[in-house]
Amino acid sequence: MTINMEIFQQFAEQLPHLGEHAQPPQMTDAARVETARETFVRKLDGRMAVDLESCIHCGHCASACHFYVGTEDPKYAPIRKLDLLKRVYRREISPLRWLHRLYTDDITVKDLQEWQELVYDSCTECGRCSMVCPMGINIAGMVNVMRQGMARAGMMPAELMAMEQEQGGHDSLFGVGPEQMKGAIAKLQEAGVDIPLDKHEADVLVTTSVIDIILFTDGLIATARIMNHLGLDWTLRSDGYEAANFGLLSGCERVQKIASEKIVLAARACGAKTVIIPECGHAYPSMRWEAANEHGGKLPFEVLAISEFLGREVKAGRLKLNTLGRDRKVTYHDPCKLARHSGTIEEPRWVLDALGVDFREVDSGRELNWCCGGGAGVFLINSASELRQQAFQVKMKQVEKTGADSVVTACGSCRLNFMNGSMRSNWDKGIESLVELVAEALPTH
Amino acid sequence: MTLLDFARGPALEWSLIIFVAGSLWRLVGALLVRRKADLSDPRSHSTLAGGIRTVFTRMWPRKEFYSGTLFGVIAGYALHIGLVIVVFLFTPHILFIDSMFGISWPGISNNLVMFAGAITVAALVALLIRRITTPLLKTISNADDYISWVMTLLPVLTGMMAFAHIGGPYQTVLAIHILTVEAMLIWFPFGKLFHAVLWIPSRAQMGAAMQRRGVKA
Repeated sequence: MTINMEIFQQFAEQLPHLGEHAQPPQMTDAARVETARETFVRKLDGRMAVDLESCIHCGHCASACHFYVGTEDPKYAPIRKLDLLKRVYRREISPLRWLHRLYTDDITVKDLQEWQELVYDSCTECGRCSMVCPMGINIAGMVNVMRQGMARAGMMPAELMAMEQEQGGHDSLFGVGPEQMKGAIAKLQEAGVDIPLDKHEADVLVTTSVIDIILFTDGLIATARIMNHLGLDWTLRSDGYEAANFGLLSGCERVQKIASEKIVLAARACGAKTVIIPECGHAYPSMRWEAANEHGGKLPFEVLAISEFLGREVKAGRLKLNTLGRDRKVTYHDPCKLARHSGTIEEPRWVLDALGVDFREVDSGRELNWCCGGGAGVFLINSASELRQQAFQVKMKQVEKTGADSVVTACGSCRLNFMNGSMRSNWDKGIESLVELVAEALPTH
Repeated sequence: MTLLDFARGPALEWSLIIFVAGSLWRLVGALLVRRKADLSDPRSHSTLAGGIRTVFTRMWPRKEFYSGTLFGVIAGYALHIGLVIVVFLFTPHILFIDSMFGISWPGISNNLVMFAGAITVAALVALLIRRITTPLLKTISNADDYISWVMTLLPVLTGMMAFAHIGGPYQTVLAIHILTVEAMLIWFPFGKLFHAVLWIPSRAQMGAAMQRRGVKA
C-alpha cells in the first residue's frame, strides 16, 4: 500500500498554522519562574538526584545525539539540556545545597526562554544518549521533567500548546473528535471495512490516532483486517480511541492524565483484557508505562503495541502470512519509544521474517537505533524544521548503508518525519508501515 | 611543629574526617531523596540482575559508540589504572596504610610505579587539552572540572617529585605531597571526584530501570 502524497502535502501545509490556535496563559515572568521551579522540585526524585550528582562532563552523550551530530553545535549536548533542572536541584534538593547556593544562580525567565529550544526543538527524548553515558544518566527522562516545568510556565512551543489545549479542552486533535471519528469509521464501514465500533463488551480494545484517521487510513484499515482475520472479539470505542497523548509530548501532566484515563475507562467499560496501541511511538509508553502511575494503580488489562501484538501472533503460529518475496529489500527503523524505551525489539523482526522479505539490519539498530528526529512532538514544531532536517541526515545515512529500497517502521510520527525528510531531500527510499505490510500479506480464506 | 608534622598530624585527621563525613552526607543525602513506586506492569522482574549487569557493561562502550568515545575511554582508563597503581602498589604508600589501618599487601618496583605515575600525568594532560580545545567539552565544563583536575594532578606530581628528590628539601616536598593528598580528600565529597562512589548506584539504577522495560542497557 502506498501513501497518498497529495493528502500528506495538504496536511503538511496546515502545520505552519497550527500554533495560531494556541492560547498562551497570561503570567508574569516571576510567576513563570516560580511555577517552573516548583514543578522541577516536585518532579525531581531519588533516581534523578543520583543522576544529577553523577555527571563527569565527558561529553559522550553528544556523540549519541542526532541533533549534536547533525549540527556539531555544542549547545545541543544532551547533558547541557538539563542545566536548569540541575541548578534547581543543586539549590533546592542536593545534600550540598547549602554550599551550591553560594555559587549556583537561580533560574530566570530568560533561561526558560533559551532552554525552550533545547528541550523541545532539539530533543526527541529518544534516550540514545543514556545508552552511551558511562554513568548511566537518564537524560531523556529529565528532559521530560524540564518540559513539564516549561509547560506549566506556559513556555512550550505554540504548536504543542495548541494540540495539548485542543486535546484537553475539546477532546479532539486536528479537529477530529469522537463525532468526526465516528463519521470516518462509518465511511470505512460503507466501503466494506468491518470495524466493530462501540461494542459494549470486547476482549480487545483497539485504539487509533488522529494521524491514522485523517492521513494513514490504510493503517487503520489494515489493523481492522488483521483483527478480523484473527477472529478476535474486538472493538474501537468512540469514548477512548485516541492513543496520541499531547499531554505527554508537551509536558502537560493534566492533559496527559485526561488522555490516558479515557482509554483506561473505555477498556474497563467493555471489559477488554488487551488494549492495542496503533503505530504511534509515544502512545505506547504513555499507556504501557505512564498510565498506571497516572491512574494510581495497576491497569486491569495488558497494553500491546500493534507491532508487538503482530510479532506475538506470528511467533505463536496464530498469524500465518504470505511471503512478500526477497526482491523487497527493506530495513527496519526501530521507533525509539517502542524499542529503546519499551523493549519492543524482537517482535517486529519476527514479523519481517515471516514476511519473507530481504531484511537488512542497520549498523546501529535495535535499542541503539538512531532516532529519525521527529519524535516527542518535534515533527510539529515549526521552529525545529531546519534542526530536524539536519538530524534526519544522520538517519538517512544509516539507512543508505543497508542498501535497502525502503524503510519499514511502526510509528506514525516516524513515518511522517521520514516522508517529510524524504520530500525535502529528494530521497528515493520508500517508507512503509509494518501493519500495512502484514495486511498485504494476509492469506485469503 | 614542622610542616611535615602538621601534614601527618592534624591535617591528616581533619581531611579524613571531612572526606568520610562529607562522602556519607552526599551519598546518603542523594539516596534518601524520595522515589515514587512505579505502578506499571514490568516486562521483567530481574531488575537486580539488570542493575548489576549494567554496572559492568558500562565499563566499556558498545562498538556503535566507539567513534565519539574511544579517546576519552582510553585516556580515562590510563588515568584510572595509573592512579590505582600509584596509590595502592607503591611500597611507601602500603607501609603508610599499614601504619594507619593495619593491613598490607606486596608492592611493585618503584620504577614501575613511576612509569604509572607518568602515564597518569600524561593522561591528565591529554584530557585537559581536549577539554579546553574542544568546543563541546569547553561548553559543558565548569570550575569543578578544573579544580578536580588540579586536585588529581598535584598528589601524583608532588609524589613523583618527592621520590625523585627534586623541587626542594625532601622533608618539605614530602609534606607538600601529603598536603596535596589531603586537599584532594577534602575536595572529594564536594566535586566530581565523587563519581568514584556514584558510578555504582547511577549505573545500577539505569540497568534496573531498563531491565524492567525489557531493554539491555
